[in-house]
Amino acid sequence: MTKVLVIDTSTDRTSAGLVSEDGVLANHFHDDPLAHGEVLPKLVAQILAAESTVDLVAIAMGPGPFTGLRVGIAFGEAFALAREIPWVGVSSLGAMAQAHNDPDFIVAIDARRREFFCEHYRESELVAPARTLQREELSEFTIPIYYEPPTVSAIAALALAGQTTTEPIYIRKPDAYPAPKGITFRPWTQMDLVPIYALEKSIYLDDPWSLEQFKEEYAGKSRQYLVAEFEGVVVGYAGVMLAGDVTDILTLTVAPEFRRRGIAREFLKRMVDWSRNQKVDAMMLEMRVGNAEAEPLYLESGFRKIAERANYYGPGLTAIVMRKELGK
Amino acid sequence: MSSQPLVLGIETSCDETAVGIVRGRTLLANVISSSVEEHARFGGVVPEIASRAHLEAMPFVIKQALREAKVALRDIDAIGVTAGPGLIGALLVGTSAAEGLALALDKPIYGVNHLSAHLAVDALDESRSLQPAIGLLVSGGHSSIIEVTDLAKGVSVLGATIDDAAGEAFDKIARLLELDFPGGPAIDRLAKSGDPEAIDFPRGLQSSDYNFSFSGLKTAVSRYLKQVPSAVKADVAASFQEAVVDVLLTKAIRACTEKGIDSLLIAGGVAANSRLRAEAQRRCHLAKIELRTPPAALCTDNGAMVAALTSLAVSGGVSPSTIGFSTLSTVPLDQPTWS
Ligand SMILES: [Zn+2]
Repeated sequence: MTKVLVIDTSTDRTSAGLVSEDGVLANHFHDDPLAHGEVLPKLVAQILAAESTVDLVAIAMGPGPFTGLRVGIAFGEAFALAREIPWVGVSSLGAMAQAHNDPDFIVAIDARRREFFCEHYRESELVAPARTLQREELSEFTIPIYYEPPTVSAIAALALAGQTTTEPIYIRKPDAYPAPKGITFRPWTQMDLVPIYALEKSIYLDDPWSLEQFKEEYAGKSRQYLVAEFEGVVVGYAGVMLAGDVTDILTLTVAPEFRRRGIAREFLKRMVDWSRNQKVDAMMLEMRVGNAEAEPLYLESGFRKIAERANYYGPGLTAIVMRKELGK
Repeated sequence: MSSQPLVLGIETSCDETAVGIVRGRTLLANVISSSVEEHARFGGVVPEIASRAHLEAMPFVIKQALREAKVALRDIDAIGVTAGPGLIGALLVGTSAAEGLALALDKPIYGVNHLSAHLAVDALDESRSLQPAIGLLVSGGHSSIIEVTDLAKGVSVLGATIDDAAGEAFDKIARLLELDFPGGPAIDRLAKSGDPEAIDFPRGLQSSDYNFSFSGLKTAVSRYLKQVPSAVKADVAASFQEAVVDVLLTKAIRACTEKGIDSLLIAGGVAANSRLRAEAQRRCHLAKIELRTPPAALCTDNGAMVAALTSLAVSGGVSPSTIGFSTLSTVPLDQPTWS
């Protein structure tokens, strides 16, 4: 009889259990999204106090919030190493799906930042690989959506059936970006208006803002404008404004020869920080359809398309309206 | 447990995944896997990248340390692990692995203070007795002057930086000079060809206490670079480094004199700086103070220092940490192990 030590820290719940072919021998859990590190060793100690023989370690490999997820994997791997027994990892969403047999359903794990790691099953088959969906996107589905953490018996069953993985399932890339070298960022001053206008004219050929518009912006309240400078020359500018319960990105412009150096990303990060400080719910922006360079950056930063406005930038030029929820 | 406990120590507080093994005060293995290359292009440590790298490297680093020490996990008497201060997500990979080992082996676990551990590498020099010392702990995260009587029981902090740590100042100035990350070694290298007396940078906090301040120095360097665009970078690096070294050593040696302790122990990442080591040698000789500097490899973050402190705690009869002790990103330096 194989005794499987099951470890799961991929949701807000920390679970540990001992499962054999005969069923669940022990099952302990504790719900606290911030205490996986403290809770897991205590739960396992409780199991071992009653039965210390373990033949296999089965670890839920996510997806799940990263910090908690790694607690279970680091613990389980080290435990197996010390006991000289094998360990296997299983998909947390896959284990969650074991509990349901609706013809069409979704399993979802809170990924924080108002997003969920999701898998869609139809007739017991996985329809699409695991991905993240925003809370709003998820709420548009009319089929059942299950959020219950995986059971220890489902994790053990997948482990014993050989449906395993050895890598943590992260889905999301780490929040990291290169710091643009030699570029300084600062709030704009009146002296920047003319260089900014010159850059504006050279980039937005059909419909640039006028110098007067920039001057009005400069005089305006409840907004933050930043410039990026390289060797004393303005190479980019961005502005965001408080508009009721959201902030609105007014412009985000980088000189063509300075693109792909993380400048836009740094602007965006600073505007997000500023917006959070305004205690608003969300950020909005309008983007020209087909702005291939900007779109991936916005999507990656959590902006989602909410509407289109035809002829917004002039005849035939459609704007996409995007929104990013700031959450807690 | 024997007075020569076999201890495995794990360190993951920043970007180094490190495991060290000691028996008593004898170093058996010190294995380090660094993700510094991955951070270099970001100009700083990215916590999520560090944490992912720790998880990936951990089992390999443990196995390699066991191979080097020629011991098996079942022979280990106690597990030590850095519990703080550090990046919380990074620390948790180390503490979780350590808890997994300790529970599997049914052996005691010690959550230890990273900063006390830096000083504990001194114990690995078996030729010395463990005598009281003034510790100068200088790294990317800390610049402190510490009175060390018994590392396993507690130390007292005499002074610390009130703004940037010394290593942080090195990183920031390196960025201004457009040098590589990490900044410490880059400035050390460049300074070798510069004139340390070329520019008289301010020394900051000339007060009679043991605190440091590096932000004024940083501003002075940045202002100088703007005012003198033609400045020779090597001279700037050398003069900046000289100012840091001067401030650190003046206060550390004064602490020795005022406390009547004739031993100075320099530890932490910045202790690997060649100018700091040379100047410390000169000044300690003049002041008739014994200088103790661990080998450079034991100055930067490593697992041996964690194992060394744990070993001192075991031998000193300190109680192990409770299962599921908390990992904290900031802790008082005078608390060497977790309860
Ligand atoms: Zn350190």
